[in-house]
Amino acid sequence: MASQTHSSMLSPLAPRADFPLLAANPGLHYLDSAATSQKPAVVLDALRGFYETANANPHRGAYALSAKATDVYHEARATIARFVGVADTDCLIFTRGATEAMNLVVSSWGRANVHAGDEVVITALEHHANFVPWQQLARASGSTLRIVELTPHQTIDLEQLRSVVNHRTKVVAITHVSNAVGAITPLDEVVRIVRSRSSAVIAVDGAQAVPHLPVHFDALGVDFYAFSGHKLLGPMGSGCLLGRRALLEAMPPYQYGGDMIEWVRDTESTWNVLPHKFEAGTPNAADAVGLAAAVTYLEGLDMRKVRAHELALLEHAEARLQALPGVTVYGPPVAQRSGVLSFSMTDVHPHDLATILDQHGVCIRAGHHCAQPLMRRLGVSATARASFYVYSDESDVDALIGALTAAQSLFSTAS
Amino acid sequence: MSGKASSASIAAMYQEALLAHHRSPHNRREMPDATASAAHRNPVCGDEIRVMVRLDGDHLVDVSFTGRGCSVATASASMMTDAVAGLSISEAQGLSAALERTLALPEAEVTLPAVLVPLRSVAPFPGRHGCVRMAWQALLEALSSGR
Repeated sequence: MASQTHSSMLSPLAPRADFPLLAANPGLHYLDSAATSQKPAVVLDALRGFYETANANPHRGAYALSAKATDVYHEARATIARFVGVADTDCLIFTRGATEAMNLVVSSWGRANVHAGDEVVITALEHHANFVPWQQLARASGSTLRIVELTPHQTIDLEQLRSVVNHRTKVVAITHVSNAVGAITPLDEVVRIVRSRSSAVIAVDGAQAVPHLPVHFDALGVDFYAFSGHKLLGPMGSGCLLGRRALLEAMPPYQYGGDMIEWVRDTESTWNVLPHKFEAGTPNAADAVGLAAAVTYLEGLDMRKVRAHELALLEHAEARLQALPGVTVYGPPVAQRSGVLSFSMTDVHPHDLATILDQHGVCIRAGHHCAQPLMRRLGVSATARASFYVYSDESDVDALIGALTAAQSLFSTAS
Repeated sequence: MSGKASSASIAAMYQEALLAHHRSPHNRREMPDATASAAHRNPVCGDEIRVMVRLDGDHLVDVSFTGRGCSVATASASMMTDAVAGLSISEAQGLSAALERTLALPEAEVTLPAVLVPLRSVAPFPGRHGCVRMAWQALLEALSSGR
């Protein structure tokens, strides 16, 4: 597919003109979308539009403006639920992002259900947000943390997963797409393995999947799924937890306060229904509306085309990168990766690369990518990571390769 | 939109002196008879520099480092070992403070020993100040623990 449409794919899928920051900086090559995406004008307009036309506290006031705020907040929930394939809209909980969503699962479901003698399974590929909360839960509960190791191409070793999961396994927490190397986890196989060997809950970190792949939660067959809005063209501070209704209804609240209660007596309280039980306090309605505008924009682009665009760019960029001397690219073959190019260059530290690339207007990430367990297994302290999105094009790849060549020559002439 | 520093200053930052220390760092070695040591890790990148000191009374008789870092972190550690060897503890602490002032106010008239002058070129890159500091923070910690 990619080769067929290769030449047309290398222009941006979404016009740079749609993105005010990119339009104002024509020389900027933003290759750090795995960290956060740029925002199209439709999202910024939606944020402003909420405050200009619908700003009141949802669920509170007995007046028309508050009712309007409530309506647009719930319309946003319905729009986003449709985008990620959740038929039961109440099972989409708004959070500050994937990190808070996973902390919600650990704090609420985890503390109530994981006890001494149980086993918690995570993988060496996880972002710290899907690693540390489970690690700390295991420590606090006296349960055993088991870490599934990786194949030589930094994908999750499914054979080891099969051997690790057993009747004591209470939860398998696993990433859908690795933020550090872009490896895509075959969730259907994970679900088959886990379901055949245990009654464990499957909690998925989808922060790097929802922006880049078509995702349909109801079809995945997993129990919890977390993602962030800011990586998929939406506002920072927006995100969602998707969960199965039976689990969410049985879970205790995560935070206490307004909106999440039913009745408050002097010594006890009862809780509101889903999704409100998990949304204490004034909701972040404006950012929810902004996120709904972002997913509507992505629906307009078509997520299958988003995936094809990133794959074509990745194939092209990887071929050019591999042609440079002394380059190591991490992760599986490109067809099994999202639009992430994680690499190192002999004798040039990733920090030095990032500084030199910045001078060429090329923004990449250099560091451990909040995945120190993975970095230890790679035997490096950091990698350089270039990541693509809908506004990326061939000129970004040209700039990246040109700047890397300049960095190599600077360091080689210095010896 | 790219870094505030110009391409002239990037060339200056990666000048010959800095890169030479990166390529062939001075005193990058273990020190079995160290009287104090401490490691500093840069949580942004995961790099770690360990600094070892042999003190004779109040004086730094020998200073070395191990660990991995970028060119700036390695060069800073290498230059530091040259600059502080033979100094008293308070002189070494004073040198660290002078380097901090240089990073914060590149235009200020701060006198640095010649070996540290190339580190001035990192001042326009705030994102890299932490790289310069790693070895110095390890040194200060070693000195405070070694007393």
